[in-house]
Amino acid sequence: MRNGGRARLLLVILIVTSLFLITLDLRGVKVIDSFKQGSQTIMSPFQRAGSVVLTPVKNFFSDVTHLGRTRNQIEKLQAENANLKQRLINRKNADAQLKQLKSILDLAGTGGYKIVNAKVISHGSSQSFSQTITIDSGSNSGIKKNMTVLSQYGIAGVVKDVYPTSALIQLASDPSFRIGARIAGTQQIGILTGRGTGAATLQLLDNSTTVKEGDVLLSRGSIANRPFVPGVPLGYVTSVDNSAGAVAQTATIRYYTNFSTLGVVAVVVSGSDSNPGDALVPVKPRVTPIPTVTVFVTPSPTPTK
Amino acid sequence: MLTRQISIATPIFLIIYVIQEAVISQFRLPGGGFSILLIFALTLAVLSETEVAAVVGFSAGFLMDLSQTAAGPFGQWTLIMLMAGYAISYIGYGDDNVQANATGIIFFIVIANLLVEIAYVASAALLGVSLGSFIQVLITLFGMSIWALLVSPILLPIFSRLHSLIFDARSTL
Repeated sequence: MRNGGRARLLLVILIVTSLFLITLDLRGVKVIDSFKQGSQTIMSPFQRAGSVVLTPVKNFFSDVTHLGRTRNQIEKLQAENANLKQRLINRKNADAQLKQLKSILDLAGTGGYKIVNAKVISHGSSQSFSQTITIDSGSNSGIKKNMTVLSQYGIAGVVKDVYPTSALIQLASDPSFRIGARIAGTQQIGILTGRGTGAATLQLLDNSTTVKEGDVLLSRGSIANRPFVPGVPLGYVTSVDNSAGAVAQTATIRYYTNFSTLGVVAVVVSGSDSNPGDALVPVKPRVTPIPTVTVFVTPSPTPTK
Repeated sequence: MLTRQISIATPIFLIIYVIQEAVISQFRLPGGGFSILLIFALTLAVLSETEVAAVVGFSAGFLMDLSQTAAGPFGQWTLIMLMAGYAISYIGYGDDNVQANATGIIFFIVIANLLVEIAYVASAALLGVSLGSFIQVLITLFGMSIWALLVSPILLPIFSRLHSLIFDARSTL
């Protein structure tokens, strides 16, 4: 044995210290939170600098992943696609508002949310099996804990921790993420749980209701709009589990948001006064038939020479 | 002697922590990526005696707990890394089968990396932390091990020199 007694004593002291830290944290002692807040406040300028400096390198890695397609082209197409989707959503929203609410909501506001835009400065490491991002806006911009975070397509996550100039976002793909969901149209409700990927699990709350492939899910909303504002598009049903022994039906959901390409997000700092209902359901693009031009040619009676 | 070691080791640990949080975390690497701090701590642990390895593990775990991405309670990584550091040193330190060549150390680090992550998963399950589906966890564990295998040979010479710098050792790998 090498320095057996001394090493063992040191080990015991360190183990007791670790267990003490775990106990303090589980009991919600503020000192631990202050430790983390302080470290994040120090780290956020480094992360911001890292994000700026490493952007070309990140783009290179992304290009390799996408087998030759350039990042700029993808971003341009994504922006164009998002713009078109947004136009479609706005159009549907405008129609619904004109018919049902007689132009109360603003077209530009879509869901009537007051938002703060933020840039993603860091993606969380997977060493702890959690799915998080850090954004460059924090409590100085009015962001508070438990606010809804939106991507260009729908839900992105929820604000988990806030620091003066940055905030930690728990992505909707995180396995511990839970959100009350409502199926657009039928109004059935359930709980959506992240899986650590772009998919999620929906557990319906009522065993007499059913769900089918293609159904669109929206957020149900929370009391005082925190953590979740109502009406945010979540995803659509890709498969349904009809196990005979299940208490209520479960389904696999594909999120609208692509969590690996998040660059800019919006934090909802105040929700709409009224529930936007199904107005934010993304509309499937319709194919407009193109009229076929038919040309009739009448042959001349005498052939030309 | 101790003051000198601490005054050299502290900034090195902090710099590696900043690199992990500000640089490595910028890339969403497939398969979960790797933790440079974890590999550094494991390398130091395998090259040091048990007391030092325990303190190294404790310090690295404390920094990993400070990371905003730590999902479990504060102290979980500290405890795991402390135990891992001690265990790795206890098994590997002074054993020529492990320390005689770089390949042995790399192999040891990769296995230790995997076992540390498994210990984290097991303790997280006991503490009620959600980690995702079993398949997803398996894929991440496998991915992290592959990354550790790819990265360790590159980092080992650097970390070995840092070990020599901190502990004033005469030989480096």
